Amino acid sequence: MEVLVVNIQGLSTNPGDLPNLHNILKQAHDSLHAESIRLLPLLDMLDPSLHSLGYLYILEACTSSALSKEQASAVVLPTARFMNSCSKEQIQLAPEKFISVCKRFKDYVMQLEAPMRGVAPMLAAIRKIQSSSEHLTPLHPEFLVLCLLSKCYKAGLSILDEDIFEVDQPKDLLLYCYYGGMICIGEKRFRKAVELLHNVVTAPMSVITAVAVEAYKKYILVSLIHNGQFSTSLPKYTSSVAQRNLKNICQPYIELANSYTTGKIADFETVAQKYQEKFDNDNNLGLVKQAISSMYKRNIQRLTQTYLTLSLQDIANSVQLNSAKEAEMHVLQMIQDGEIFATINQKDGMVSFLEDPEQYKSCGMIERIDSSIQRIMALSRKLTTMNENISCDPMYLAKVGRERQRFDFDDYDPVPQRFNI
Amino acid sequence: MEFSPLSSALASKSYERFADICDDIMLQVAAEGVSFQDWPYAIHLLGHIYAGDINSMRFLWKSMPSAVKENNPEVQAAWRIGQKLWVRDYVGVYEAIRGFNWSQEAQGLVAAFSDHYTKKMFQLLQSAYSTISIQDTSLFLNMNEDDVKNYVQQQGWIVDPASQMITVKKWPIVTEQKLNPSKLHSLTEYVFHLEH
Repeated sequence: MEVLVVNIQGLSTNPGDLPNLHNILKQAHDSLHAESIRLLPLLDMLDPSLHSLGYLYILEACTSSALSKEQASAVVLPTARFMNSCSKEQIQLAPEKFISVCKRFKDYVMQLEAPMRGVAPMLAAIRKIQSSSEHLTPLHPEFLVLCLLSKCYKAGLSILDEDIFEVDQPKDLLLYCYYGGMICIGEKRFRKAVELLHNVVTAPMSVITAVAVEAYKKYILVSLIHNGQFSTSLPKYTSSVAQRNLKNICQPYIELANSYTTGKIADFETVAQKYQEKFDNDNNLGLVKQAISSMYKRNIQRLTQTYLTLSLQDIANSVQLNSAKEAEMHVLQMIQDGEIFATINQKDGMVSFLEDPEQYKSCGMIERIDSSIQRIMALSRKLTTMNENISCDPMYLAKVGRERQRFDFDDYDPVPQRFNI
Repeated sequence: MEFSPLSSALASKSYERFADICDDIMLQVAAEGVSFQDWPYAIHLLGHIYAGDINSMRFLWKSMPSAVKENNPEVQAAWRIGQKLWVRDYVGVYEAIRGFNWSQEAQGLVAAFSDHYTKKMFQLLQSAYSTISIQDTSLFLNMNEDDVKNYVQQQGWIVDPASQMITVKKWPIVTEQKLNPSKLHSLTEYVFHLEH
């Protein structure tokens, strides 16, 4: 083992030596695994940022067998420091090992019931293993789980704001979108939550997974809160398993969504009561309550379409609030949140509904439109490149070639079905 | 445990960023496995309250060990302010601020928040009301009726003692509208993109 340590120390500084070191480490793999946690003291002889590759192999061997709580506790701190300070170039030579170590790290901090310990190191680890900020790694969902459990929702948002174009494993994307949706719900970013949950529900799948079911339940509730409506028909690109099965599994939620559209708060509350235990077990009771609050807002917003002015008492009656004062407070809160444009006239007890004062002529608005156009142009360029790449893909051409045989031979140039390259 | 970056941030009165600094340091400290016994939860909560980030404030409260929640009166007092903000008990916020003897560390932050909140309430009243009673205005702005009459008259609002009503005057917001010549360049880019 000492020989190994000397090798690591000697061969880590020069990038040209790294392939050689990597081979040595691969050969030592089995003997390292045999020693497992007993290797822990070796780590003190190495520097995690200079000798990252060697450190990684030893750390991975230490954690390869099941550890007791004390052993896990001893390994957690060196792992956290390693994740923070390791050299990106070195660990990218052995990405699967790095990912295994990070996943086990997450298991240990959960075992120790201290998820907050893992948040900062996991974020650092994501940055080390990512090939670009558009790359979704298997560590993304692990990070989001830690954020959720430690209630560090804001830290999770920073990752969610990045656009993803490259994914290693579909399972990672599903979990990332589901946990991401939950974080957005917690931070009241409902538009983004709907988008993320929509991605889970409409993702290609051959069997219904638990993630898809839970995501669909939350998707229904968040759609009600954000859009005021929910359509049970899923888009065409949804998998057929999802289209056939999701509605049946989530029947109470569909019933709830149907009662929302009537606008009668009492009806909605009845359905919510009826299935209260189920919603509670699914941890969705908070969302149901938010949906009820959103009904009051929608009902008040609906009044703006019919009236120019309305008395506070009439608002209270129409929306089923208890008093004019309560109606006043509701309207005040909606004005504060920008959900309605109105002024309250306390002298006459009236509310005047106004038009949106935004003229879309200001510099600020131009900046926003500009940045949106730039983003769409970049996206369009990306799609064109992807389209070109797929057109050259042999598997695609083979499938197209097979299908073209169905058409008249004279109409199309024949496409060879097999490429012998 | 010394949290010196926090003290320097407090001293410099950069309160808007204070909660973010607290969050970062908290995560770093957690990664090192250090215990959170002495973490200044009260001012961390107040930092979120100042920044108006009620969600983060609630999550911080939820993640606090129950020992801290039960035994630290300043943390409880900070939480009361947060609760009032969460349920939008506009007047209750002032009561919660007044109802505690704040420590030296927290005083600067609480006083700054109180001023900031009064200004925000004033702006809310200005945008939401065309007429409002003197009584409600004094509750919303945490002033007695005479002070409030002087204050709003200075802002151009009209007080009518006979009906005990104030008429709100809205000042139109004037912003600079300067067009950047690079916008022409952007427009050319867009047309090029659409043509291809």
